[in-house]
Amino acid sequence: MSVEAATHARPGQGEAVNGTALPLVVEHVAKGYDLNGQVVPVIADLSLTLRKGEIVSIVGPSGCGKTTLLNTLCGLLAPDAGRIRWHGRQVVGQPQNVGYMLQKDLLFPWRTALANTMLGLEIRGVPAAEAEDRSRAMLDQLGLHGFADHYPATLSGGMRQRVALARTLVNDPDVLLLDEPFAALDFQTKLLIESDMVSLVRKGGRSMLLITHDIEEAVSIADRVIVLTRRPTAVKATYEIELGSDRADVISLRENPDFSRYVRRIWADLDVAIQ
Amino acid sequence: MTTDIETSMVDASKPAGSVPSPVARAKWKRARFGIAVLATQALVLAALLVVWERATPKGSPAAFMFGSPSAIAGFLVQMAQDGSLWRDAAVTGTETLLGFFMGNLVGTLLGLSLWYSRFVSRVVEPFVIALGSIPIIALAPIVIIWFGTGLVSKVAMSTLSVVIVALVTSYKGAVGVDGDQIYLMKTLGASKFQIFRKLVIPASLTDIFAGLKLTVGFALIGAIVGEFMSSSEGLGHAIFKAGSLYIIPKVFAALVVTIVLALVLTWLVGKIERLLMPWRRRA
Repeated sequence: MSVEAATHARPGQGEAVNGTALPLVVEHVAKGYDLNGQVVPVIADLSLTLRKGEIVSIVGPSGCGKTTLLNTLCGLLAPDAGRIRWHGRQVVGQPQNVGYMLQKDLLFPWRTALANTMLGLEIRGVPAAEAEDRSRAMLDQLGLHGFADHYPATLSGGMRQRVALARTLVNDPDVLLLDEPFAALDFQTKLLIESDMVSLVRKGGRSMLLITHDIEEAVSIADRVIVLTRRPTAVKATYEIELGSDRADVISLRENPDFSRYVRRIWADLDVAIQ
Repeated sequence: MTTDIETSMVDASKPAGSVPSPVARAKWKRARFGIAVLATQALVLAALLVVWERATPKGSPAAFMFGSPSAIAGFLVQMAQDGSLWRDAAVTGTETLLGFFMGNLVGTLLGLSLWYSRFVSRVVEPFVIALGSIPIIALAPIVIIWFGTGLVSKVAMSTLSVVIVALVTSYKGAVGVDGDQIYLMKTLGASKFQIFRKLVIPASLTDIFAGLKLTVGFALIGAIVGEFMSSSEGLGHAIFKAGSLYIIPKVFAALVVTIVLALVLTWLVGKIERLLMPWRRRA
């Protein structure tokens, strides 16, 4: 990995707290794609910061380049301009200790739930016995006890997404990047998985960046919601979500009167952004 | 025939008074469908044989030209008794299996490894297409010059008939792997070899097995074409010899054995497939 100690090079901009570097700092990133020789801008100019233990949601109108953003963040695409720093360092290729989850569960059909969960540990060369113990424990925590030896084809959509979550969390990532991971699930299943996920993430002191088009999901989960404009994408507004101290219970939060106020305001913001 | 069976199926499902459980009912319904298909196939075959037998009475010119089912059966019994049936089937079966195995091994290894390099696969592509378009039978004379008239030349013919198909199907499987799954492997820190081993190979198995089923027939054709060109044993030899002597029913008898051989080999591949891909058993 090529490394540049950029934390102290430009103090004012990176919001670096003395000593400990922020998990993720994005500065003026731009990204476009090439269409018949013409560059079509997708992300115009985007800056954001993710603090340790913080959950940030990004909402935006459809097709605003959310997925491009995520792929750029985790090094699958290189930004045309700007800088991305993970823990104060610019990284070439995939950042370390970052878990990535998509709407598609991407489970391997030839692997059981357990073997799918073990994938990341296996790749990093963790001894098989340890990898299996950790994976079984993670599956148990996500309510999949007794399903470890099932093939994905025999699991429901919600269970499959839980296995995908276990596969992400078992690697003990500092930061989770999620791209509408539960969009394909029905409402109740989605709420239950979300609540399990948020309590695991908060308990582990992990940071999380959640890209979604579901404003209620964004508000109920996040400490901060970032609203994007449509293409070419930039930050339109940022909301600090203050809904009391117990943020792990994402289900009862929804009854908080402030919850619907946030949702309405963000909805209004998005609406303007669409037109 | 078909309508008879269908109406009887509808009738049988009517008495809904003492039905055990919906699951058992669905199971019974599926089983009944399978039985109906089999019965209809047997009836069609029987009807064909009856018409064939009637149209070719013993001693008639038609019997000479087209053989007759009873004459074919007679030859089958005779060939089984004098042992030539088993010998020829064993020879052709061995050639076919060896060619099938070698062609698929080489083709699959090459096809999968082409995934590794976009550059190499691009370079190789026109050559593969060119080789694939050669009718294998056109190579038979050269193959016999190179490998002689024994077993090796038949195995070579069989291998050649298989290898390009195996290469193309396995390569197609390898490049068809979901790009998001490759992304996932990368974000988990996988090296290219790990992606190849843990994702590309297992993900290609479905296509590889589709290729295997296809190439059973090709391997058999290759072996028989080889036997046609020059041989002293094997089913191709039996067909060729009986044909040259105008013993049409014997040609058909050898063909029947060939068909049975193909069916057995295909069934074997299916068995191995279910063994190697247990996650597909319940689909």
